[in-house]
Amino acid sequence: MDRAWRRSTDVIESLPATGSAASSNWERFEALYRSSRDDLYAYVATLLRDPSAAEDITAQAFERAYRRRRTFDRRRGEERAWLFGIARNAALDELRRRKRTAQLATDPEDVAASDPGDQGAEVALRRTAVRAALAGLPAREREIVALKFHAGMSNAEIARVLGVSESNAGTLLHRTMQKLRKACDDQA
Amino acid sequence: MTKPEEFDPEVVATLDAIDATLAGEAVDPRHAEIAELALLLADERPRVDAAFATVLDEGVQRRFERPSRAARRRFAWSVWAPSAAVAASLIVAVVIVASQSGGGSSTNSTESGSAGVAAAAASAPNEHHHGAAQKLVPAAQGTLDKTFSLPSRTSTTGSSSASTAAVPRAPAVPQGLNTPALTPFNGPSTAGRKVVQGARLSLSTTSKRVDQVAQEVFNVIAQQKGIVKSSQVTANGGPGGNAEFQLSVPNGNLAATMAALSDLQYAHVASRTDSSQDVTNQFRVDQRRLADDRALRTALLKQLASAVTQAEIDSLNARIHDAAAAISSDENALHAINRSVGYSQIYVEINAGFVPVAVHKGGGGFTVGKAAHDAGHVLTVAAGVALIGLAGLLPLALVLALVWWIYATLRRRSRLQALDQI
Repeated sequence: MDRAWRRSTDVIESLPATGSAASSNWERFEALYRSSRDDLYAYVATLLRDPSAAEDITAQAFERAYRRRRTFDRRRGEERAWLFGIARNAALDELRRRKRTAQLATDPEDVAASDPGDQGAEVALRRTAVRAALAGLPAREREIVALKFHAGMSNAEIARVLGVSESNAGTLLHRTMQKLRKACDDQA
Repeated sequence: MTKPEEFDPEVVATLDAIDATLAGEAVDPRHAEIAELALLLADERPRVDAAFATVLDEGVQRRFERPSRAARRRFAWSVWAPSAAVAASLIVAVVIVASQSGGGSSTNSTESGSAGVAAAAASAPNEHHHGAAQKLVPAAQGTLDKTFSLPSRTSTTGSSSASTAAVPRAPAVPQGLNTPALTPFNGPSTAGRKVVQGARLSLSTTSKRVDQVAQEVFNVIAQQKGIVKSSQVTANGGPGGNAEFQLSVPNGNLAATMAALSDLQYAHVASRTDSSQDVTNQFRVDQRRLADDRALRTALLKQLASAVTQAEIDSLNARIHDAAAAISSDENALHAINRSVGYSQIYVEINAGFVPVAVHKGGGGFTVGKAAHDAGHVLTVAAGVALIGLAGLLPLALVLALVWWIYATLRRRSRLQALDQI
């Protein structure tokens, strides 16, 4: 499994704590970019369910973060949560502007068909059931899944991105998982 | 993860199982189902397209620079920043200059305000008079160095007046201070002519200084060998207070007297009116009438000497008596004109209600002290302008903050609505 969240955390912890002026700022941003690019795209793609729009929003989010890097206040959270907050706003603005429902990032049937590989039929069925259940989730809950499982965020980071308390984030996650389990069981 | 105390233990266990699964650690068998679901969800993670990743990497390496746009931004800053600084400086300078030259209107308002105070003070109980009768002031000191030159006037006959409601002041002198540099007022050419000159001066001061300023007026008149014909000083210790003087000074000392009265330490010149009246014709008429009456009396005396009858003598005596009375009247009129011409009448009124600052008297040269004083005044004015500006901007800032808060709230709500519409 791609342990995205572990990799990201490791890189964040390796960011230079202090530095001199512009070069230090740039190094910090570059490290943030390297550690967050794939996670951010995964989050935005899950939220928008439109790969093309997700690419635009991801690029836009990094550019905005770079322009506003001097406004970042560490006391208000980690850079990663700040970056995802920017991406979230950009994605929601995009949704608001376009007012359309995007397609799923991937079609469950297509993926199942394209990658039968050495997976057993039972696993393929479960995967299909999970995709269907995920697609049936409301956007707010799908966002929780995206932040937790696709962006590899801790519950505390999720709370900062969504602007809720950590306990609320944990409750939302637990509720979403229960709903997914039930949806999967129903499909099974 | 921080676990709030209010969490259900089962919820905590489930969240821990998810974290452990994602971290690749073993989980309790009773959470196997949730662990499998977590792994399946993680496997659904959308992957970045390689081409997009390359493009994005390049963009980051370029630091998102778009040369033309960046150059435009730098250019705009390089042009607008100095321009904005110059404009701000000009605005501040204009405001300072306007506040400096605004002394006239301020003086007028002070004057009108003090008039009401003076009316109220007239009925104040603590009212004392410095003598309603004429008061001769001994001439103890010589004339002042400063001369009060009357403004040039074109009229040589009849009367003329020059009024100065808001006395111009030197730019370097702070507003509210006495100004030695009054409008030059050159008196009429009096060579061979009889001219009656007069002046009216309105001064403003604080209610606490009315007595002090009145005493200064007395001192000035003493120095100028003048006469205080009447005076009335009203000071009740509180707000308000006024004083009035009817003064008479030798005509030659009028300019110096006005200069000194306009330069009192704790008084501010609210208005000044200079007047003159050419009485040469009247004087000559009176002279001719006197000559005629004297000639008539001489002729009557001659007729009386040759009179025979008693009736004729009585008639001539009556006419001689009338002629003598006319001569006396003519002489009095001439004496009155001569007195008016020799002494100028000055009316001075002092009204409380102004807050002056002590004037630094002295020569006109540049000194470090004067420079420091002027610098302090400029800084004070600048601070005042800044304070007024802030006071004006504060409501605007509050309105803008409110508008921004409403906008941010609406935008946040709109975003969340967009999230719900997916």
